[in-house]
Amino acid sequence: MKTLNWYYPASLTEAAELVGREKIVPHAGGTGLLARGLGSITGLIELSRLPLHDLRITPDSIEIGSLCTYRDVVNILGQADPGHILVEALRESATTPLRNRITVGGSIALAPPWSDITGPLLALDTELVLLGDPSGTFPVAEYLQRSELRTKTLIQSVRLTRQTGIAAHYRHVRTRNDLPAFTITVLFKVSGGLITDCRIIIVGATPRYARQYKIENWLKQAPVDQLDDQAIQSLIEAKFGGRRIADPVYARHIAGIEIVRCVQRLMRNCR
Amino acid sequence: MNIELDINGRRRILHCAPDERLLITLRNHGYTEVKNGCLEGECGACLVLLDSRPVNSCQVLTASVAGRQITTVQGLGTLHQPHPLQQAFVDAGAVQCGFCTPGLILAAWALLQENPTPSDDEIKAALDGNLCRCTGYVKIIAAVRLAAQRLQALHHSTNPCRE
Repeated sequence: MKTLNWYYPASLTEAAELVGREKIVPHAGGTGLLARGLGSITGLIELSRLPLHDLRITPDSIEIGSLCTYRDVVNILGQADPGHILVEALRESATTPLRNRITVGGSIALAPPWSDITGPLLALDTELVLLGDPSGTFPVAEYLQRSELRTKTLIQSVRLTRQTGIAAHYRHVRTRNDLPAFTITVLFKVSGGLITDCRIIIVGATPRYARQYKIENWLKQAPVDQLDDQAIQSLIEAKFGGRRIADPVYARHIAGIEIVRCVQRLMRNCR
Repeated sequence: MNIELDINGRRRILHCAPDERLLITLRNHGYTEVKNGCLEGECGACLVLLDSRPVNSCQVLTASVAGRQITTVQGLGTLHQPHPLQQAFVDAGAVQCGFCTPGLILAAWALLQENPTPSDDEIKAALDGNLCRCTGYVKIIAAVRLAAQRLQALHHSTNPCRE
């Protein structure tokens, strides 16, 4: 039998003190931990009794407690803002019973390559409220880059502004319930038929979180009705590969086509 | 370690290993209606209701759900007094080998609690975590539709003032 101790902290302070101890990790929904395997972990901090379940929506901002499940986000945020990119992405993610268990905090902390949540959070310039060492508010992009933040802190909540632009999310899957080989998130603002502000993020390629600055700049200058997937393809700043992608050239081709489709769909909705 | 759970309305204290999945704990204590399928959260055979929400019990560590309510398919009805959903599955011919049926019935029950009159698309979406390798889903969807109709009729007959 594996030696594994469970800790049931009564407060966030107590939980934050436990986080960062060697081989002791927070347990939220547990699906990510089980997928990775408990391996050398010797202790789990059970978070479910802590006040991390709230999802608050104000006219300007959204704050999601780290223990909110994908289902909570889809239901609660979906009611207030049905077109929100996070709702669109998480509604399609995993399956109904898994969405009841996968938490926002767990998904960000473990950041599996197939995650549907990372692209939208990066596109929306999300901030994380962290407890531990260090505590404070950090951009999600910084959290994903700095491994010490992931291992020594506990995510208390996720803060994002209300989405002002239009957005689309594409997941590259073989079947509906499959884990995506990669995802594409497109978010932009349009004024007078022109794209003024644009974010395009590919998650699951190399680098894992690849913001597409070249395509963003190209879109801001080009007439949107003359979109060319060959041109978009040549501007993609990511390499495709890995176990879940059989053919990197094909994946790149698909990514180019899907970016164009996302942009065209959003522009149609704008008119 | 010992974990206290409310299973099908009964308080139980179950012994389990600290890294044990709820599926294994339940089966070790006689709840063999919870089926061991893929152990990866893919097939839905091990689906139970955790505080009325469907979850894959193979993706839940038992120690993380201490004190919570678990419902297995035996919590809905019995052989001699089946739940209308169970009866609908039989009447619609939605059961072949039966391995996926407990999970499907619980997933359908959770759907009908939230949405008593689901469309076919809503039924498909709610059952997206349950795989059946025998029936091809047509009769399963028909069974849920039938159960929804029967439960609605039952609801109206017991609450005539609401009509």
